[in-house]
Amino acid sequence: MIGSKPRGGDELTGRLEEALREAGEDGAQAFVTIRQGEHTRFAGSRVHQPQAVEEVQLMVSVDRGGGAARVATSRLEDARAAGREALRRAAALPPGRSQAPNAAGAVTGTFNHWHEDTAAWDAGTRSRLAAVAMTLAEAAGATAHGMLSRVLVEMATARSAGSAYVSATEASATLLVRQGGGSAYRGDLARSVDQIAVEELVRSALAEAAAARDPEPLPPGTYDVVLGPLAVGDMLTFFGGMGFTGEAVAAGAGAVARRQGEEVASALITVADDAISLGVGLPIPFDIEGMPKVHVPMLDRGRVRGAVFDLATARAAGTSTTGHAHIAREEAPCPTPANLILRAGSSTTAELIQGVDDGLYISRFHYTRMVDPEASTFTGVTRDAAFRIRRGSLEGPVASARFTEEVLGILGRTDGVGSHLVSQPIMNVWNGVASAPSLRVRGFRLGFR
Amino acid sequence: MIQTATGSPWAWVHSEDEARALAQEAVDLALHRGATYADARLVEVLEERLYAASGREPDWRLEQVVGLGVRVLLKGAWGFGSRVLGPASQGIEAALAAVEMAEAQVGPNSAYLDPLPAASGHFRTPFAVDPFAVSASAKHDLVAGLLREALANQEVTRAVAGVNAKRQRRCFASSEGSWQVQELVETGGLLQVWAALDGEVQRRSYPNSFHGNTSAAGWEYLDELRLPAELPRVIDEARALLRAPILAPGRADLVLGPAMTALQIHESCGHALELDRIFGDEAGFAGTSFIRAEERGKMRYGSEAVTVVADPTTPRARGSFAFDDEGQPARPAVLIEKGVVRDFLSSRETAQRIGRPTTAAMRADGHSFMPLCFSTHVGIQPGEGDLDALLERLGNGYYLDMDRSWSIDERRLNFQFGTEVAWEVRRGRRARLYRNASYGGVTPEFWGSVEAVAGPETLQVFGLPCGKGEPKQWGFVSHGAAPILVRGVRVGVAG
Repeated sequence: MIGSKPRGGDELTGRLEEALREAGEDGAQAFVTIRQGEHTRFAGSRVHQPQAVEEVQLMVSVDRGGGAARVATSRLEDARAAGREALRRAAALPPGRSQAPNAAGAVTGTFNHWHEDTAAWDAGTRSRLAAVAMTLAEAAGATAHGMLSRVLVEMATARSAGSAYVSATEASATLLVRQGGGSAYRGDLARSVDQIAVEELVRSALAEAAAARDPEPLPPGTYDVVLGPLAVGDMLTFFGGMGFTGEAVAAGAGAVARRQGEEVASALITVADDAISLGVGLPIPFDIEGMPKVHVPMLDRGRVRGAVFDLATARAAGTSTTGHAHIAREEAPCPTPANLILRAGSSTTAELIQGVDDGLYISRFHYTRMVDPEASTFTGVTRDAAFRIRRGSLEGPVASARFTEEVLGILGRTDGVGSHLVSQPIMNVWNGVASAPSLRVRGFRLGFR
Repeated sequence: MIQTATGSPWAWVHSEDEARALAQEAVDLALHRGATYADARLVEVLEERLYAASGREPDWRLEQVVGLGVRVLLKGAWGFGSRVLGPASQGIEAALAAVEMAEAQVGPNSAYLDPLPAASGHFRTPFAVDPFAVSASAKHDLVAGLLREALANQEVTRAVAGVNAKRQRRCFASSEGSWQVQELVETGGLLQVWAALDGEVQRRSYPNSFHGNTSAAGWEYLDELRLPAELPRVIDEARALLRAPILAPGRADLVLGPAMTALQIHESCGHALELDRIFGDEAGFAGTSFIRAEERGKMRYGSEAVTVVADPTTPRARGSFAFDDEGQPARPAVLIEKGVVRDFLSSRETAQRIGRPTTAAMRADGHSFMPLCFSTHVGIQPGEGDLDALLERLGNGYYLDMDRSWSIDERRLNFQFGTEVAWEVRRGRRARLYRNASYGGVTPEFWGSVEAVAGPETLQVFGLPCGKGEPKQWGFVSHGAAPILVRGVRVGVAG
């Protein structure tokens, strides 16, 4: 194993407890996150970016009601110094208007989401798999591009009430096959690499890329579509921006604040943030505040339900945290959905396609961005394999096209849900993952409006 | 050691000699293990962020990272390893990890680097006021005052004010004998106000919407931003947008303000001209480019008015430096000259494939990741005249500025951008305000329709983060942008 060994719960919680002793236990909290990633990235005929990357952050926060003073370091040895500096900075904060956050119910104990199969998925094995993908692609007149990754994850949190530690593994595979002006993409991630059928991803991407050659331009218009799981999962990542967060609730904006209980989507649609259902996405039991992750229903059979909260927004809203504290790079802290799941239905993707007389199959979106959070409008382009559907069967490939649609509109016009979930990472969200099945959607608009 | 005082910039590694010894040890180990090339980057980062946001108490954070990243070329295979630095010899571990990652590759491998002479030197961002020396109360009073004043206004439902500062010490050693030390300092600010009425929500930002703006400068940059003085205008415009009509679909002549021009440069020039994308290295994630390497010198990318230069020697630009992250000296490079593609954002490896010198655009996020081709400081060359003169030349059309949403396809060809504000321009003068403005097009057609660029007095520098690579890493880039006049653009494309 190239990566260094896991530090282990004793060392990490010990460091955090040292930090808390310096920070003063009143209102102090600390966490450490460690990711030791090995990434085998390849393109064309070579592995061009093989990386063994270590990321460590130990952060001490002191919040006595006037706001949070946080000090973070990559050096575990500096835990005490971080605690002292956080305490010093907390004293410099202006007097607060509110009480310190109520952290009753913080998680304690040791948790294990470690899979030896993933830990043993070494650089040599990944390199050989990458070589197989590239060789098969070349033999087919195509090129393969992608990444095979293994990440060892540790997180520990501590408060005066106790500490918690989790160790976990993360395996992921992405593959893009380009052929004849077309392309096909596959991706999946899970705690256990045994849940990712890498060889099947390669085989199916090669087959789909062969079918996606020489795509024809697509006339703008409104189509019945089947959206692949990766396209649907991409849409889920907008739920935070659409108002399913405590921050939006506090501002009186978005779906939960303005449309609570309203039926905004098809009764076939149930979306939740759930990091505790083993086997889906990247389960993890608590957040960086040490609070338990809870199941947060967002859309329940099409009706708007709840939002995700951290301690600060829960305090403002007079409710409880759901365990979704998050600090994004270069942004203010904000509770963030991190383990989104659209509940699977009972249809295979082939069955969904059979239900379309004249339409499209769209495997994936690209560069999607929110246009209007209140209206749930987003824009993006289709990317990689997309095909015409005629009389319930896939026909010729079609080229990338722009769309501007409403997320809730799409979910409202859904009349079929696939049975197979595929997981993908949520960009810029620590341990963030969206898991979704295929959907059949009526009246999807393509082209500039 | 957590050190926030401004005295010694060496927080963890106590001297340049010590830093050099750590980096050189890693390089030497890689060579001993068979590498034909190795470089090591020892990076220390100290970053402070203070946010005041409605609905929660202020959040003030200080983040420190120190680590070593080692890149090796061994039997034609690349390898990279990084470790955070502690008291143990993680630098050696980083080198070992890099070697083992390279050794794990299935051959035959054929990566190589043409040898280059060593490049050594020291660089420090010029600044007047160390942002880490500014008192806590000054920072808190600033953001708390902005938030308080914003929220005191009717219809303002949400606001965020923030300040940020970063100090990086980036040391680079290579097996070619280079030794470089750069101390990069940056300071930034952000102000965003949301107004709401009857379900309509509008946002207005200053000095830019995406992460505010950050300059390679000290706290004097915050003073120059004059956030308190700009706040009333920002609030007024957010509220006025609530009652403004929606910009209807159609074709129109436009003037894009500097912030929007910066985004247009970033998405449709910067990324499209990254040579690793052009060669397919990013095809699996960020995408490719509509430009082919062999089209250099031939491809008409825009009109005669469009000249785009990468110049990481530009003062006060977040994307500036003295050496990139494979140790190549920063230098100006014309990417697009009077509308024709002349060069690319390149690395040593990609540049040698086209027989060109690198444009020193190989950059990495801290110590942790393998460098990639990122934008540096990429800007449009200004033309003549101020904004009023450009609006006069526009005649009738719209003036759009500051991004609200942005999307472009994986070849950087088909784009759709939304803006926070749009003013109708009638006979050269700003008139009615419109909300939810958007425009879209195809990159070379858009740049080919640029009739004029405003003069140097209108030029602004925008520093922003950018994401690329798999696993994703952040690049910190900047763009010099002046207002541009574009004819016949599709507007109102987002409905």
